[in-house]
Amino acid sequence: MDFWFSYIALASIYVLLGLSTNLLVGIAGIFSVSQAAVFGVGAYIVAFFLMNDITSFLPAMAIAAVCCIALNILVTLPALRVSGDYFVVTSFGIQLLATAVFTNWTDGTGGANGLPGIPPPDLAGKALEESWQVVLLCLGGMALGCLIFWLVMRAPFGRLLRAIREDELAVAATGKSVLRAKVSAAALAGAFAGTAGGLYATFLSFIDPSSFDLDASILLLTMVVVGGARTLAGSIIGPFLLLALPQILTLVDIPTTIAAAARQLIYGVLLIAFMLFRPQGLAGEKL
Amino acid sequence: MTPYLQASAVEVSFGGLRALNDCSFTIQQGHITCLVGPNGAGKTTIFNVITGFLKPNSGSVTFKGQPLDGWKPQAIVAAGIARTFQNLRLFVDLTAVDNVLASLPGQTGEEPLAAIFRPFHVAAAQRRRREEALAILDRVGLSARSGDFVRNLSYGEQKLLIIARVLATGAELLLLDEPASGLSSGALEDVMALLRSLRNDGKTLLVVEHNTRVVQKIADDVLFLHQGHLMAQGSPETIVNDPALAEIYFGGAI
Amino acid sequence: MLALQLLCNGIVTGCALGVVAVSFSFVYATTKIFHVAHAGVYTLGGYVAWSMLGHGFPTAVAVLTAIAAATALGALIQGLLYARLERRKATHLVVLIASLGTLAVIQNILAAVYTADILRFNLPWGAEVFRVAGNVRLTMTQLLTVVVSLVAYGGVMWFSNGTILGKQIRAVASNPFLAEITRLQPRRVHIYVMAIASALVCLPGILVPMDFGLQPYNGITPLLTATIAMIAGGVGSITGAFVLAIVITELQNMSLLFIPGEWSIGVTFFIFVIFMLFRPTGLFAAAR
Repeated sequence: MDFWFSYIALASIYVLLGLSTNLLVGIAGIFSVSQAAVFGVGAYIVAFFLMNDITSFLPAMAIAAVCCIALNILVTLPALRVSGDYFVVTSFGIQLLATAVFTNWTDGTGGANGLPGIPPPDLAGKALEESWQVVLLCLGGMALGCLIFWLVMRAPFGRLLRAIREDELAVAATGKSVLRAKVSAAALAGAFAGTAGGLYATFLSFIDPSSFDLDASILLLTMVVVGGARTLAGSIIGPFLLLALPQILTLVDIPTTIAAAARQLIYGVLLIAFMLFRPQGLAGEKL
Repeated sequence: MTPYLQASAVEVSFGGLRALNDCSFTIQQGHITCLVGPNGAGKTTIFNVITGFLKPNSGSVTFKGQPLDGWKPQAIVAAGIARTFQNLRLFVDLTAVDNVLASLPGQTGEEPLAAIFRPFHVAAAQRRRREEALAILDRVGLSARSGDFVRNLSYGEQKLLIIARVLATGAELLLLDEPASGLSSGALEDVMALLRSLRNDGKTLLVVEHNTRVVQKIADDVLFLHQGHLMAQGSPETIVNDPALAEIYFGGAI
Repeated sequence: MLALQLLCNGIVTGCALGVVAVSFSFVYATTKIFHVAHAGVYTLGGYVAWSMLGHGFPTAVAVLTAIAAATALGALIQGLLYARLERRKATHLVVLIASLGTLAVIQNILAAVYTADILRFNLPWGAEVFRVAGNVRLTMTQLLTVVVSLVAYGGVMWFSNGTILGKQIRAVASNPFLAEITRLQPRRVHIYVMAIASALVCLPGILVPMDFGLQPYNGITPLLTATIAMIAGGVGSITGAFVLAIVITELQNMSLLFIPGEWSIGVTFFIFVIFMLFRPTGLFAAAR
């Protein structure tokens, strides 16, 4: 039972992250290996506010979302200004820098040991102590995220983003601002990542830098690639499938010392295989 | 009286190559002006300069007396100038009507906040805009194909759709890059009729065209560009019948 | 005194990263692929050399085997992955993701085989210390790094300007279409380029770990510095990439006087941001 609770809660959180990465990579077409960094910032902010009893859960989530929106815009602006390839450097740099901050800024983040004892989320003054309550909260967050993604993609904004993905120059020629649309997509991606971070911190009640490192960013990218770019279905399928993978690996009796490497190895193989043979993923559109 | 559109001494060079060389001309409102000249004369380059895709090394373009120096493409569209591309650049994975919708200005729900917080309002507004887009498709004679994906349209239909898309921007001065090239004679007549009717509706057109027969039929005024420089300007008859220009245009080709 | 020592260390590491930057730039300028997996090739070279030495082979054999392995890996990545993606007209983003996947595969195979623990080269001759100008200490490995890197840099300069293949590669880089119709066969040239670049990156891939030890995930930071050097030096400029790698590593090393080492990634990134803001085309960019 506990296993299913935690699987569903984590998968819900990762669906939010999948939506976030999909908005950035699939829809805005910006290569990113730093979404886990933004996710981490959201998690640490919510943890900080709740552990120091500054605000209750929802205001803390709102603050985290706003900070992550700002951060994501700041992070992606160079990608929109300079040539796309240079942004690869920015993205790697930001992810490595974020890991350095999470690991070395001991006063703020607890360093490599992480932050234990994050209080459970609360709604309307009542703490959600039971695990099923938190699972419901995560599911609710996921549902809200999916609804927002669906609304946005069926609105003119979604059509504009699709047009941009096909031909930026033609969009500019019709008098629309490509930059503005991409910044909006990045902002929305930031809000999703920040919210996911807050849910993650309160669900696990413990966070450490290893959840928000480069490998985590690669996992997020793999989820979008496997599920499929630019669709709601793809953003849901990817996380649910890939989070089941570690469980499957435990059945295959791999020595625990190399389990982490084996997992990342599989992500790498999936990235290559899907790019070669099925760039649209299981349920997406072409990248 | 201020000229409608005026290019003054526009210079553009790529590396060592001079694409536009002291290029100056004016265009009259309500006319179809055809831009002719041999390949590499700088016809598309002048489009790029007027629409803000290319910054000239020197010289400037004024529209109704207002200099467009340093304007972004979207500001120029908002001012009333829109263009097409020679290779169309339609959104091939969208339907015909969505191609037009994507070019209509000022839509509610074109940024995420409205889309999230006012979904019903956005949906209602979209229904109205869709009517508008269908009317534009009807204008170019494509209403029967509105729901079809661009990749399923014939080449002639795609060329009509690109005109629908540029009309959707609401611009009054339309720069059309070879709207009639590669068309069968029937489709050619359709396009020419459409261009003339657009002019009669008050649009001003600047058209790149190679086919002298088309030029003679639609143009009120012709600009002859050669090596990035305006060689001659006049009525279609004078330009087409000028032996010196014909020598430049067809020289060596026949 | 510490400053002088850091200065010397900076030159040593800078030269090595200069070779990484030159080799990366070589690939990028020719194929236009942002070859992230280059970090994996770099790491593989070190591991192959380490295992060969561990099995008692002489140093020269170990190094040559490592170079051969890296060369083969580079050619394979081009031939089996990038060339296929190009044939399918894959977008830039797709190629980039595939390259990232390749990096993850190489790193994690190494991690699975050799564990993620740090491995050290055990070379008595390498630790031999020379004293230069008072108290500055340089090991044999460090001296060798400088010499090999300078030779590699000179070799690339000579190759690119003085040989027919080098000139062909520059032709493909400047205009692949033209190169195709003149039967230069860009596909084959791309494989050569990847093979040569992989052989080159293997040199610092062995020399740097001789100083700092081997870890499977240690290729990314050098690659990041190298790509920043390439951009800051001006894409397409071999000298620019090499010189800027030394400058950036030097700045990073000198910053150790004021800022703790764990923040050095921040220093590197800060330099990149400064360049992006003020000189996005790079210092040595060819005039248009």
